[in-house]
Amino acid sequence: MTRNQRTVAGGIPLVFERNDDVPLVHLGVNLRTGSALDPIGLEGMTRLLMRVVRLGTPELRGSQIEERIDSLGAHLSVSVGHSYVHVSATLIAQSLVPFVELLADLLLRPALRERDLVQARRETLAELSSLCDDDRALAARHYRRHALPDHPYGRSTAGNVRSVRALTAQQLRTHHRRLMVSGNLLFSAAGAFEERELAALLTRCFGPLKRGKPPPMRLSAPRMPRGRRILIVDKPERTQTQILIGTLGSHERDAEHVPLVVANTAFGGLFTARLTHEVRSKRGWSYGASSSLGHEQQRDLWSMWTFPAATDAIDCLRLQLELFETWVRDGLEDDELEKARSYLVKSHAFEIDTPSKRVEQLVDTKIFKLPADYYAGFSRAAGKVSRKSARLAVQRRLSTRDLAICLVATAKDVLPALQKLPGIDSVQIVPFDKL
Amino acid sequence: MPPAELDPTRLCQRLNRGVRRAGARYESGERVRFGNSSRLTLGRYRLGNGLKVLTLVDRSAPVISYHTWYHVGSRNERPGKTGLAHLFEHLMFNETRNLPAGEYDRRIEAAGGETNASTWTDWTHYHADLPASELPLIVELESDRMANLVLREPQLRSEKEVVANERRYRVDDDVEGTVGEKLYALAYKRHPYGWPTIGWMRDIEGFTTADCREFYKTYYAPNNATLVVAGDFDEAQALRLIQKAYGNQRAAKLPRPRRVRETAQRRPRYLAMKRPTPSAKLCVGYRAPAFPDADYAVLSLLNEVLLGGRGSRLFRRLVQRDGLAAEVNSSLAPFVEPGLYDIWLSLRPGRGIEAAAVALDEELARLCAKQVTPKELERVKNRVELGFLSSLETAGGKAEQVGFFEVVCGDAAALFERMQIYRAVTAADLQRVAKLVFDPAQRTRIDVLPAPGAAA
Repeated sequence: MTRNQRTVAGGIPLVFERNDDVPLVHLGVNLRTGSALDPIGLEGMTRLLMRVVRLGTPELRGSQIEERIDSLGAHLSVSVGHSYVHVSATLIAQSLVPFVELLADLLLRPALRERDLVQARRETLAELSSLCDDDRALAARHYRRHALPDHPYGRSTAGNVRSVRALTAQQLRTHHRRLMVSGNLLFSAAGAFEERELAALLTRCFGPLKRGKPPPMRLSAPRMPRGRRILIVDKPERTQTQILIGTLGSHERDAEHVPLVVANTAFGGLFTARLTHEVRSKRGWSYGASSSLGHEQQRDLWSMWTFPAATDAIDCLRLQLELFETWVRDGLEDDELEKARSYLVKSHAFEIDTPSKRVEQLVDTKIFKLPADYYAGFSRAAGKVSRKSARLAVQRRLSTRDLAICLVATAKDVLPALQKLPGIDSVQIVPFDKL
Repeated sequence: MPPAELDPTRLCQRLNRGVRRAGARYESGERVRFGNSSRLTLGRYRLGNGLKVLTLVDRSAPVISYHTWYHVGSRNERPGKTGLAHLFEHLMFNETRNLPAGEYDRRIEAAGGETNASTWTDWTHYHADLPASELPLIVELESDRMANLVLREPQLRSEKEVVANERRYRVDDDVEGTVGEKLYALAYKRHPYGWPTIGWMRDIEGFTTADCREFYKTYYAPNNATLVVAGDFDEAQALRLIQKAYGNQRAAKLPRPRRVRETAQRRPRYLAMKRPTPSAKLCVGYRAPAFPDADYAVLSLLNEVLLGGRGSRLFRRLVQRDGLAAEVNSSLAPFVEPGLYDIWLSLRPGRGIEAAAVALDEELARLCAKQVTPKELERVKNRVELGFLSSLETAGGKAEQVGFFEVVCGDAAALFERMQIYRAVTAADLQRVAKLVFDPAQRTRIDVLPAPGAAA
C-alpha cells in the first residue's frame, strides 16, 4: 500500500494510492470551485455546463461517448456542490489509458453546441419536475433556501426553472474557460495502476490545459435572518410531514468544531443519540431522526431531520425544539459524551478502510481548505473533548434564537396548530410544484 | 504474520475436541477459492444444530463485517399477518433475557460499529461492521438475540408505530412506492410475492405479542440461519467463539416450505390512479425468471441493454431523443421463485402516457425481433462486470454477496460462477429470453395521472 502525492501535467497535484486487490481504478478530476460561483439569476450554471460537457466533443456525439464509456467497463459520474465539482470514474484497470484519453477530451475540448444545451436543459427541467415527487429532497431544497436566502449556499446547485431556461451556450463557453485551468484542478486515483504510467498518461492527456489560477470565489460568511421562521411547502394528501430545523453550524477550521462534532454525535448522530431515542425509540413518532453538520469551504448549517405522521407533526416539532434548547443550555450527560467519543474514535477504522476513502480524505482536505492534519488528528482530538468544551462549542456556535424550520406538509392540516406554537416569528407557505 | 490456515477438516476435528453436545460440533468444513483471487478463500462450516457459517479472511483493513441471514421473509407470512418478517427486523434490536432494550445498539456504537438490517420476500438480513478487535462482542450479541429475544407490549407498540411511519415514508407518500406495491398486488393473485414486505397498514396495526412470539419461535433458530464473517480475523478463533455462543442453541422444527403456484397470466392487467404529482407515470411489469434460473442472468443483461445508464436504449429514446420521460429506471426482482421485471417511466410534465407506452412497446418488440450487435453485447457485459467487481471492494460487500448467494441459490460459491455465466451469454440468448419475457399477455401496467391541483 502506498499513498502519495505528486504533480503532473505541468503542476496539477495528483493524490493517489495503489492497491491491486480488485482490478479496478477509481479516478477523480476535482475542481476547486463549485456552484457558489454561479451568478444570481443564472443558478445551476456549473451543473448545466458539466451536463453539456458530457454531450459531445467536436468528433463525438453524446451517444457515442456513452457507448465508449460503457464499452470500456467504466462508470462516470459528476457531482456539483457549492464548493467543488467532482468528476469521478470507476473503471476496469485495463481500460485506464483509453478512458483517460476520452475523459481529457471531454473536459478539455467539449463542443458545447446549442443543440447539446437544449438537451441538457430539457433533462434538467425534467429533473426539477421529478423532484416534486420526492418529499425529502423537496424539503432539503426549500430548507436551505429558507435558512440562507442571501447566500450562495442557500441556492440550489441545480438552479431553478427560470435560471436554467435563461442560460445560453455562450455563457457556458465562457464559464468553461474560467473553470478549466490548471490551478483549478486536482487529480485523485486509487486502485490497480502503476504510478509512473498514470502520471505520464495524465501529463500527456491534460498537458494542453491552459495554465492559470482558479476563478476567485470570494464568499461572505453565511448569515441567517433573525428569528424563528417557518416555511411550509404545501403538498396535498400528505400523511407524513418532513421536518427540517436548523441554524448555522461551524467549519473544520473553527476551534469549536471537533467538540461540536462530538456534541452533535451524542445529540443526533447515532441510533442511540438523544434525539433519536426521544423521537423514535420512546415515542415511535418517526422512522428516522437525526442531526448533522454541513460541510463547505465556509461555515455551513447544523440541521435536524424527522418525518413523523402528519397527526404527530406539531408534537414532534415542539419536542425537537425543547430537546434542542435543553441541549444548548445544559450540554451532554457524562455517559452521552463517553459514548460519542468512543464511537468517533473507534469508528475511524471505517473512514479509511478502502484506498478510495483514504484518497478522498486527501482531496477533501485540499478542496475544503481543511487543516492539513484534520483527518489524521480527528480521532485523537475527539477523544479529548470534555463535557465543558462540548457544551461551550454548542453554545458558541448554535443559535436557539435564529432558526429556519421547513415542513413539507398539507398546509391546511398543520397551519392552525403551527400558528399557536410559542416563539415563532413568521410562517410562510409555498406551493410544492413551483421550483 | 497471520497464522497459517489449517485444513478445514482438521480444523473441525480440533474444534470438536472435548465438545460433547452434538449441536455444538462442527459437522463439516471446506474451503473454496474466492473467485479468481488467489489470495482469498471462502470457508464453509456447519454446526450440528444446523447453523451454517461462512468465513472470508481478508486482512486488507482492520475491520470485520458480521452478517446473519435468516431464511425467512414476507413469503412465509399469511394474509392478515403481512409485514411480520419486516417487523422483526425492528424488534430484534430490543430487549433480550440478558440485555435491556437499546443495549444492543449502545454496545455496537460504543465499539465504533454500525449495524442495520433488511427484509425482503425470501430472507431477513442483519449485519454489523466493526473494528477487527470487536468480533467477540458481535458474536455474543447476535447469538443472544437469536435465542433470547423478549417480546413485550410496550416495545411492540412503539415499533409498530415506527414501521407505520416507515410505510408512510416509503409507500403512502411516495408515488413510486405506491405503484410498486400495487404492481405486485395486481400481478400476483395467489403467491405471497403479491403482498408488500413492509405489510399492509391494517396488518401492521393489528400485530399482537402472541403473533410475534410464535413467529420468533418458528423461524429464529440456528438451522434457519447462515452466518457470514468477513474481514480481518483469525478463522479458528472465530469458529471457536461461534461454537461456544451458538452451539447450545437447539434447532427448531421448521415448517415445510409452502409451494404456491401462481396462476398463469393469459391477459394483460391494468390499473389507473391519480396522485398529486406534476407529471404522469407509467409502470410496466413482466413475469421474470427466478434468481437461480440461468435465464435470470440473461435478463439482467437485457435490462442493461434497455436501461443500463445513459447509453441504454430506453434512456436514449425516451429521455434524449423523444423527450417523453424525465426519468427511466427498472427493477429485476432477485427472488428464489419467479418475480417481476418492471420498468418505471416518470414522464415530462404535459407528456401523454400513451405515446410513452407505444415507444416502450416498440423498443421491447425490437429486442424480440432483432439480435443485439456484438458491440452492444460487449457494452452491457462490461457494465455488469464493473458492477460485480465494485460490489466486492469492501469486507461488507463481499460478506453480503456471499450470504445472498447462499440464501437465494443455496450455494455461496455460485457467486464465483456468476461472471462466467454473464460472459457466456450470446445475442441469441438475449433474443430468446426477450421473446419469453416480453409477452404482452403477461404484462401488468399501472398508469398514474396528475391529480387536479398539481401542475401539469
